[in-house]
Amino acid sequence: MKTIIHDLGKEQNERLLAAADQVVCADGRYAPCQGCFKCWTKHPAACELKDALYQSCRILGSSEDLTIITENLYGGYSPAVKNLLDRSIGVSTPFSTYRGGQMHHTLRYGTRNCLRVIVYGNITETEKNTLKLMAERNAINMGFREHSVEFCSDAEEAGGMA
Amino acid sequence: MEKTVLINCSPKKKLSVSGFIMRCAALMIRGRKEYLHLRTPADRQGILQALMNSGKVVFVLPLYVDSVPSHVLPFLKEMEAFCRENNLSLKVYAIANNGFIEGRQNEPLMQVMENFCSRAGLEWCGGVGIGGGVMLNVERIMIPVMFGLMILNMLLRGFQGEDILEPVQSFGTTIGTFLLLCCGVIAFTVRLAAHINKGTNAGKQYTRIMLPSFIFILFADIFFTILSVFQGGIFRGWFSRFKPDAGCSIITRKDH
Repeated sequence: MKTIIHDLGKEQNERLLAAADQVVCADGRYAPCQGCFKCWTKHPAACELKDALYQSCRILGSSEDLTIITENLYGGYSPAVKNLLDRSIGVSTPFSTYRGGQMHHTLRYGTRNCLRVIVYGNITETEKNTLKLMAERNAINMGFREHSVEFCSDAEEAGGMA
Repeated sequence: MEKTVLINCSPKKKLSVSGFIMRCAALMIRGRKEYLHLRTPADRQGILQALMNSGKVVFVLPLYVDSVPSHVLPFLKEMEAFCRENNLSLKVYAIANNGFIEGRQNEPLMQVMENFCSRAGLEWCGGVGIGGGVMLNVERIMIPVMFGLMILNMLLRGFQGEDILEPVQSFGTTIGTFLLLCCGVIAFTVRLAAHINKGTNAGKQYTRIMLPSFIFILFADIFFTILSVFQGGIFRGWFSRFKPDAGCSIITRKDH
């Protein structure tokens, strides 16, 4: 299963479907993660907040290949995309292990194929380096074997790169 | 002396590690201080106004998915515009904490905060990344409990005519152990506070709870197992690979 998560607006969903099995538009109209860990300890792989994102970790977990299209914000993801990722920590379990020589949570959905991050907007060289580090860390955390980061100038181009 | 604004960026209402670290750090920061909590969009305006007459701001943040929690990002955007409009020249410090044992895992968050300062025209003055921050919460809860038990034990021993100082020694040993576990956090927080007081750049420093990682992992696993038993998750497919419901509204699929 290949999934695209993006912040380009819902009107881009159909276009992006040409490059993926499923598309999720992060529009930012969701509550942020409350840090309660109930997606581990109370109702596994489902968020305590019962809005549209309450099963977002299941979407990420069932994606063998995941593409994230995001606007740059200080060398990180846009608030809408970050909101979705924060609400998806149920892709892992509460148990811990070592990956890449550091402590991480064990993976509910096992190791998956590739995390691809496409970043658009005004980006400095320093921010590019932060994004590369972030994607590398995310790939380890979420259990992707490979990862890549690509940069482009605007949302239109980013949609075409998917 | 310039006012220092300390912002607890945890989304939790109470018992947040970030809030606890903020209060501990503030003990060593001199001058006027203002404590603020960034949880909801409604908090943003009050924090921006507090920045108007301050010289330093300390963000105390939890690490969420390798970076700044999502609810903080819109505030940073607003703060960037606000600082530019009002020509503010603040010194920015950050204290990050994460649930993993390695403090260095806070590095991407620190870089995001540094990039934010560059965009907003503010002076990035570094900070501390703390690994195993959740242990601080455990200690915060355990110390009053242990103190209560010590008093109870002393009373019982007093009634029975036994040595009432033994529970005090035992409590002292516990406190000593807790301090030893936190010695890195304490040392680096004191160091950061000294830099905040002088208004100098602290650089980026990383520390952790002084436990071997395999023991920390063991404690964490036991903690989550107990929590999962009480909250019921252990009986509801604790490790199951759940698929999203067919009617999951945020997915657009090819076959639809």
